[in-house]
Amino acid sequence: MKRAQLMLVSALIAASALAATAPGAFALRGQVRSNSDGFGTSCVGFVDTYPQQLYSLTVTQMSKLGFAVADSSIGSTFTRNAFLSTVLHDYAVYVHSHGDDYWASAGYPKIDSGFLQDPGPGRCNNSSDIVRSSSIKAATLGTPYNLVIMSTCFLGSDKSTMPGAFQIEKTKTSNQPEFYLSYVGHVYDSSMLRFEKAFWSYINSGNPAYSLWGAFTYANSLGGYASPDFDNPFMPNWWGSANYNGHPTAPTSW
Amino acid sequence: MSAPRSSNALKSALGVGFLLACLTITAGSIHAATQPTGSTDPAVRNQPGVISLALEAASSPVVFSHAVAARDALGFPVGARRAGRHVQDTFEGVEYDEVDELDTSGRPISMTQLDASGRLRVAVRLDQSPHSAKRIARDPAIQVAQRGAASAGLTVGGPMHADADVATDGWTVRWSRVQNGIGVRGDETRVQVRPDGHIQSLARVEHQLSAEPAQRLKSDQAREIVSRQSDKWFVALGSSYTVESMDMEWVGPNGAFDAAQPIDPQPVYRLAWVANVKPSGAAANYLWMVTLYVDAGDGNLLGGDFVE
Repeated sequence: MKRAQLMLVSALIAASALAATAPGAFALRGQVRSNSDGFGTSCVGFVDTYPQQLYSLTVTQMSKLGFAVADSSIGSTFTRNAFLSTVLHDYAVYVHSHGDDYWASAGYPKIDSGFLQDPGPGRCNNSSDIVRSSSIKAATLGTPYNLVIMSTCFLGSDKSTMPGAFQIEKTKTSNQPEFYLSYVGHVYDSSMLRFEKAFWSYINSGNPAYSLWGAFTYANSLGGYASPDFDNPFMPNWWGSANYNGHPTAPTSW
Repeated sequence: MSAPRSSNALKSALGVGFLLACLTITAGSIHAATQPTGSTDPAVRNQPGVISLALEAASSPVVFSHAVAARDALGFPVGARRAGRHVQDTFEGVEYDEVDELDTSGRPISMTQLDASGRLRVAVRLDQSPHSAKRIARDPAIQVAQRGAASAGLTVGGPMHADADVATDGWTVRWSRVQNGIGVRGDETRVQVRPDGHIQSLARVEHQLSAEPAQRLKSDQAREIVSRQSDKWFVALGSSYTVESMDMEWVGPNGAFDAAQPIDPQPVYRLAWVANVKPSGAAANYLWMVTLYVDAGDGNLLGGDFVE
């Protein structure tokens, strides 16, 4: 028994060494999460159909891009714990929920951006459901991420601390294979869906010379996005590399 | 800053450790981990895609000449070569012809899409914008956008909006489409202007409109329908609401409140009363606004939208 345990430990150490020297040898993981119970009948009296549409779209398209989409969930299994306990393994992350630039525990003017976990059936979201960027930052242990999409309001604003939770600097000139996408203000779900469909249609159209920035730029150009009011024009934003093609890439091998 | 080598190695090692741990339990779980967990869901399986067929300049001269004309009209750079394709895009439910202008490495520096009738759908620069120390001012940007649209053969009119764009650091200038005095929701001519005053993109969105209803509901009748619906949704659950606006618009029916309703990616737009309803109380914690489309003829709910 002890001999078997030793062999397993040796195998793990050997595999870890192999992975450290040959990043990318294994499929890099992605996770997709969507809050649906918070926008369901028991909370808003009707079923908001967009969380399911966005979830289904992203699971398929992120896989098509080459990420091994694991740990994905819509509804009650999208919990803070489920997210934080798996995010370290991932290179691509997608969240659709309510998002905001919340005050940090230190209070004004410090920001600790976050999104809401799914409240679970029969419950509605409240502030106890916030998954804060500081918690995510702690869970990601300084490891790199290729693609992070926060399909929420506000997490693309200049003051958002969410990119930093995934070690993505708020610059548009990164030389690392990293790309962060979110929205600046209040956004209609239909506009997110239209934008994200255009984004995926471009990057997954089969041209290896295309970049995520190109996909963003194409989607941003396309238009047809309704906006809730004049103070909230539809405004997606990005940070990261303008050259990265979106395929799973361990950053040190880029 | 991202990705110190040691961090990346840590993540790789953890990933491999996870895989090996799974292997000791069951070999099948490695395969499962690489599959989308929702892949048994028909909504995931039936997802859209893009099918394309290469177009050659010799066999499709009109497509290429229109694309070149748009490129030159908008002041886009000339590539080392061009590549064309006919695209069936089931994401949006449209077909179009596309010409990419490519640099010497084969990277796209601009793209032009023409709809089935040969009209410009979108033209966009895909070369990176130089980081301009100073952004062109709003009014000159609007003039650039107007000139660009005109030189591409588009007549612009209707309400105009110009917003600073954080993604490009330039401007987005939009002319909303108006039909018989009534706005068409989302339909627009959109021009993006780079900070250096060059055109970044031009796009036109235009949906087919149905016939106007013989008789229109009055605003207070529509408000009553919206209030009845909102009472059911919000008041019954202990929250409240305010009807913030009630405007007539052409809208795309979208079944947004009915998961069983099939989604038409290119709906024929109908005349509707569009109400913005702001919840208050507990519902305001997770829903900022709900928008309802009420058919201006028969008062049926055509769909709507949400700001979560």
